[in-house]
Amino acid sequence: MGGDKAARMPVVRMFVLILFKSLKVRRNRVAITLFSIMIGAAIITALASVYFDISAKMSRELRAYGANFFIGPSASSGSRLAESRTIDEAVKMVPADKLIGASSYIFGVVRLDLGNAVLAGVDFAGLRKLATYWQVEGKWIGVAFDEDSCMVGKTLAKNMELGVGDSVNVISNDSGFQRRLAVKGIVETGQVEDEQIFVTLSLAAEILGLEEKVHHAMLSIVTEGMDIDELAARLERRFPGLDAKPIRKVSYSDGRILEKIRGLMAIVAIVILTVTTLCVMTTLIAIVSERTREIGLMKAIGADDRGVVLQFLSETLIMGVAGVTAGLAGGFLLAQVLGQAVFGSYISFRPIVIPMTLIPSVGAALLAAAMPVRMAVRVVPAQVLKEE
Amino acid sequence: MFVLMLRESFVRGRRRKALATLTIVLAASLITALMNISIDVGDKMARELKSYGANINVVPKSETISLEIGGVDYNPLQGQVFIEEKALPGIKQIFWHNNIVGYAPFLRVTAEMAGAREKRVPLLGTRFDRHTPVEGDDEFRTGVRAINPYWQVKGDWPDDDGAGALAGAALAREMNLKEGDQISLRMGGKAGPAEILAITGILSTGGTEESAVVAPLPVAQKLAGLAGKVQWVNVSALTVPEDKLSRKARYSADSLSSAEYDRWYCTAYVSSITHQIEEAIPNVTARPIWQVAASEGAVVSRIQLLMIVVTLAAFVASGLGISSLMVTTIMERAKEIALMKALGAANWEVYLLFLGESAVVGVIGGLLGSAAGAGLSQIIGFSVFGASVSFSPIVIPVNVVISVMIALAGSLMPSRLITRLYPAEVLHGRR
Repeated sequence: MGGDKAARMPVVRMFVLILFKSLKVRRNRVAITLFSIMIGAAIITALASVYFDISAKMSRELRAYGANFFIGPSASSGSRLAESRTIDEAVKMVPADKLIGASSYIFGVVRLDLGNAVLAGVDFAGLRKLATYWQVEGKWIGVAFDEDSCMVGKTLAKNMELGVGDSVNVISNDSGFQRRLAVKGIVETGQVEDEQIFVTLSLAAEILGLEEKVHHAMLSIVTEGMDIDELAARLERRFPGLDAKPIRKVSYSDGRILEKIRGLMAIVAIVILTVTTLCVMTTLIAIVSERTREIGLMKAIGADDRGVVLQFLSETLIMGVAGVTAGLAGGFLLAQVLGQAVFGSYISFRPIVIPMTLIPSVGAALLAAAMPVRMAVRVVPAQVLKEE
Repeated sequence: MFVLMLRESFVRGRRRKALATLTIVLAASLITALMNISIDVGDKMARELKSYGANINVVPKSETISLEIGGVDYNPLQGQVFIEEKALPGIKQIFWHNNIVGYAPFLRVTAEMAGAREKRVPLLGTRFDRHTPVEGDDEFRTGVRAINPYWQVKGDWPDDDGAGALAGAALAREMNLKEGDQISLRMGGKAGPAEILAITGILSTGGTEESAVVAPLPVAQKLAGLAGKVQWVNVSALTVPEDKLSRKARYSADSLSSAEYDRWYCTAYVSSITHQIEEAIPNVTARPIWQVAASEGAVVSRIQLLMIVVTLAAFVASGLGISSLMVTTIMERAKEIALMKALGAANWEVYLLFLGESAVVGVIGGLLGSAAGAGLSQIIGFSVFGASVSFSPIVIPVNVVISVMIALAGSLMPSRLITRLYPAEVLHGRR
């Protein structure tokens, strides 16, 4: 009985010895195994990372549709105008990292050389980010204090016979204010903007005689990861005279589109994950299958089935973990390449990706090793060694 | 001799070959499915993006400038021009008629609402979901429900020929209107004709429609005495993103050569569709609504790029996977090759054997994979878009060629390694 313990020590040492010898001697095969596990793990990591980031990324892309949030005076306040200071404060309540762009608007009817038109005062810096879809011939007004330029809607420009570089007299019927403005750009949107003339907020306030007032503000907010209705309710609670609401046309569609894109990405990721895992499995099966003779030899010199299976699985486990670790690093790099190529920004790292890659990859590797080994241990050693 | 060896190799190494083929089938089906999805995703997403509403606005040719601020018109009666309603089916008969998803005509007038207190309310006449048979499509239905899916109605949509109407949410709140209420609208003072309308639902749009009564078009036409007239038409069309040619056509149409003009006319750019609508209907101006048209292009091309990059990544990964499998299946045959060489086979014969085997495996795998991939892409199509993905036949030959190339490339390196071995060493068991 005393010899049992003494006998077990060499068994363990033998096991470790065989394990490392096998990894060392079969360097070629080990490299291929590691390589294929690594490739599989890398692609799974990359796609999972992209999947988890896709909503945030596409949500920003969808901001190309312009304003999705409206802040204006509430109907109950009776006025169509709001204090510009209050509106600015309300806009500041939107988290800065979620706000793509915002602009206040003020409107009034003015007389131009050849007829009347609606004049809109806007914050051009905010508007440029808000209305990326504006088709501008000529140039945008760049600075907020440019009080000698205007932008003119396409239809209005046609009717008033204006082109880029021309100048136009703007006269207010109410205040009598008059100024000659240079046409810096012609705007085409296909909507009401085509019939309006745009100047900076401060100039519009001066022309229309409406200092410190605006009609409303339009905002473009990244809705991913925040409750936009809750934001609207919070703003209305904080500023009772204001009406804050998501613009349904845009915010409703955003949600639908994001859902579709996320669904597409999810199913593509699942398909790739499954197929890649199967590919890794077939490679491992091929590698382990060719060792049938080795198994026969081990059995012939006295190894039991359990020992053989244990040794092969340990080998695979070591290679699997090593391969997946390398794959995780490689996959994260790959995700950055994807992110840069498609969105021009980095994909953030999420810890959930690690188990998502580790479990299927190592699981598939073990399964792939177990199947041929089980088949091999069932055969009679003499047969295998005689190559039958 | 070569054919015999090839056949024997497949018969004897059945398991090995099956494994190689299976891997190629898997990889090829993945690539097929992704390629298919990439090709079709632009079209599918463009359809989804239709939920942002119409992308073309058709208005009468007119010299007047509207002076409208926030739904209030400061210049309501001046020089109104209209579009004839009966000309509208022409929109569905242009060159790109299959790309026209739908259209909805509008007529906006101001009416007096009789009741406890007189109130002037905007009345918007439109079509909701009207059966409009056109040439080649007898089942064509169109109206705001098709082109503005973001319109949300609490209650029921009114019938297009009935006397029901929707009350805008803001108006309903102000006037205390609810489903089932009756309202009476008239125009032109007490003497004008009156219409009794039943409110069938409350409409939320987030736009100016919320403060209006939205009624079937004939009701608004009758009240305003404008039978058969509409003010503007919103059209929803599937378009391809803008590019250099369409921009050139827009800003300097005269500088297009006739070949360029033909190419522009026969491409579903939003600008060529608006041009064709202007040709089809007399005296109108069709303008792209750039908020929808331009943004759609940006989003669709982004998603297309995403799919292409993902396909490429999967392609590279499965290529490497197949190569590593090829390396193992060839390396384990060192003894056999050594024997071949010892019997006098030249290196090129060994190459030929392996490359021939790989080519056969590649063709079989590629074909089976294409079939499996076609099925896979339909599964993806149905689960994500609820519609079948159109299968592009070009994918099959491309895929078979790719599979063969990968298999060949994968076996080239190990073949070289194996032909370099010395037969004596291998056969003796030293390697």
